[in-house]
Amino acid sequence: MSRTIEPSSNTPLDSVESIVAGFRERDYVCDRSLATAVFLALRLDRPLLLEGEAGVGKTELAKVLAASLGTRLIRLQCYEGLDVNAAVYEWNYPRQMLEIRLLEARGQADRANAHDIFGPDFLIRRPLLQALEADPDGEPPVLLIDEIDRADEEFEAYLLEILSDFQVTVPEIGTIKAARPPRVILTSNRTREVHDALKRRCLYHWIDYPTAQKEFEIVLARVPDAPEQLAREVVAFVHRLREADLTKVPGIAETLDWAAALLSLGSRELTGEVVDETLGVVLKYEEDIRRIRGDTARSYLQEAGATA
Amino acid sequence: MANRRDPNDPAIVRAPWGPEVDGRRLLAESVGFGRALRAAGLATDLGASVDFARALTLVDMGQRDTVRAAGEAVFVRRRDDREVYDRVFNRWWRRRGRKRPAGDGPAVPTDDVSAAEAEDGLGSPGGDEGTLGDDTNRIDGIPMAIESDEDADGEIDGIIAAPTAYSSSELLRHRDFDRMTAAELRDAERLVDLLEPRLELRRTRRYELHHHGRLLAPRTMLRRNMATGGQFTEWIWRRHTKRPRRIVVLCDISGSMERHSRLLLRFVQALSAASSVKTESFVFGTRLTRVTRLLRDRDRDRALARVADTVNDWAGGTRIGESFQDFNRHWARRTLRTSGVVIVVSDGWDRGDPALVATETARLRRNCHRLVWLNPLAGTPGYEPLAGGMRAALPYVDDFVPAGTVASLERLGEILAGIRSSDVRRGGDAAASADAGERQSSQAIRSIAPPAPLDVASDPVAARPLSPRGSTR
Repeated sequence: MSRTIEPSSNTPLDSVESIVAGFRERDYVCDRSLATAVFLALRLDRPLLLEGEAGVGKTELAKVLAASLGTRLIRLQCYEGLDVNAAVYEWNYPRQMLEIRLLEARGQADRANAHDIFGPDFLIRRPLLQALEADPDGEPPVLLIDEIDRADEEFEAYLLEILSDFQVTVPEIGTIKAARPPRVILTSNRTREVHDALKRRCLYHWIDYPTAQKEFEIVLARVPDAPEQLAREVVAFVHRLREADLTKVPGIAETLDWAAALLSLGSRELTGEVVDETLGVVLKYEEDIRRIRGDTARSYLQEAGATA
Repeated sequence: MANRRDPNDPAIVRAPWGPEVDGRRLLAESVGFGRALRAAGLATDLGASVDFARALTLVDMGQRDTVRAAGEAVFVRRRDDREVYDRVFNRWWRRRGRKRPAGDGPAVPTDDVSAAEAEDGLGSPGGDEGTLGDDTNRIDGIPMAIESDEDADGEIDGIIAAPTAYSSSELLRHRDFDRMTAAELRDAERLVDLLEPRLELRRTRRYELHHHGRLLAPRTMLRRNMATGGQFTEWIWRRHTKRPRRIVVLCDISGSMERHSRLLLRFVQALSAASSVKTESFVFGTRLTRVTRLLRDRDRDRALARVADTVNDWAGGTRIGESFQDFNRHWARRTLRTSGVVIVVSDGWDRGDPALVATETARLRRNCHRLVWLNPLAGTPGYEPLAGGMRAALPYVDDFVPAGTVASLERLGEILAGIRSSDVRRGGDAAASADAGERQSSQAIRSIAPPAPLDVASDPVAARPLSPRGSTR
């Protein structure tokens, strides 16, 4: 309970508190429940599935985790049609061809055998294989499987196999097994429901929009040059927007973009005109912008001014 | 208590946060909690309970929020489960709770508890309010903070999700389905049999090797021609694979649709049961209810009975605009992914604001590949879409189909097969024409013209003309 937190440059992530502190050091503000999920994923050696609206910091968490652990981040971006060749490994056929030609030219073709061209040298390692093959002595890498909902079911089924055994079989070489399983973070935007079998293997956390206070801290951490007053106003306005009936609600990423945009425009505070001019940074749908721009924005500004 | 523990017992675990804890009890508690969650409707398994027990040895067991977060990470698997989880957790925590003396660590189990505290505090002792009575003797292994609450006497095993929100302004009616007669069953099945092989296909991003493919498959070619030392002796082709498009059905079950909803729901159910197509189904009257999972039941009668039980706005009023809005906001992105086909089954009688119906239908149209509207009234001779909702929605509808009987529903097969896909009217055009005030019924009526003769042989895929590129090989 009464452990002291020692914020050093390389905090071991061995308690919930140290994760909160370690992430904070890298300008990632997270609440205790998220930190608990990360902590348990690390300790129980389980993949962590993060879901949440776009722009709440799911991908960022993996980056910060890798930095905090002092290890490599290996990222696999998912898309429909993603297959083993793009995700795990592929043979470098052109190079193999060249090798055959070279051997022929040197007159050694008769002495060469299959091992010469189906060896590790000719293997192109894609992210999943990279994650398994990492240095056995060092800290295992963080494997980020980003936007798993964009991959199709076939790939999800394959992933299931990898995540349970952390091994891959390349027929020509044999089975490659991770000496220490990588830390796996999966993210999903919920454009479709991830299959239950995959979820069962993961710990789960839904990242909510932060409270105004927390988001204010995030803005200050990420846009350090922003004056406090501006940060407070921006956060209050965005929070008001999230309650409004919009097609696409702005995420934290939008808040940060907006604060940075206002800063580079030299605004010290939010005014009606400034909001109208820069609303496109926060709202990405034309109908949303049309609804908010003008009088609505001004009334939100007043409300935001009252709370900020 | 402590003397019962044998330090050499392998089941005794030592948490980093306190004295050792009897692992068997910990496990029993975890399993009990998992069971309560399952009873409340969460899809948890024993593995999750074991994980929870392991998790508890890693975190500070006395801290409510930490335990709550740990359980959440382990047991919760979708966002919608969080609410149920929180409710069950609060009960569980209260029931298992024990008093923690002020200022002390979390792990000193005491015997009698008459304890209390304020709000959601973490074991901070407050005034004396509640007594937990006999519950307190149930555990001695898991010391936990106590939380009192006005409804602390709730049974943990009996926690079910709270009844759905009730609004007295709505006409909530219950509906019982009769068992399907053999003839009705046949009808529904016939319809789906007719439909299934003819659903419009969507090109996926995956490839398959195919000798009629138009794209070279370099990877396979290199591999297969390895034997000849890289001399290409064999050409290998690939093409995109195809899959049926997803279908989302939004079925109106309001009073004016009462006569038809039986047949239509049966149709929706038969469609959901057909495995080759991904179908999402919703019903709406005054509100939108997702019935996909319910309809997936193999027992058709039971599936419909469960729908009847769940939905409580049978035969009431209609709010098409609000229902579509709900769908657009919460479900469209997850179920459609812009490539699906939406089938709305409604007569278009609407109590709400036609302007809202128009905006939301337009939005729905932008989110899908094709918007089909089945209207049971449209089959009647001389029908004109005069109902407010129908008029508002019509400019955005791709296909407007009469759907009074099974016979007229058969035409849907033709539409879903994409045979008429050449005249897909995209939402943009529709919106433009609506903006220009061109929302005239004459334009709308055109789409109710008698169906084009059904040409079974015309497969949209096979009928595609060969591209010049294809002839070069």
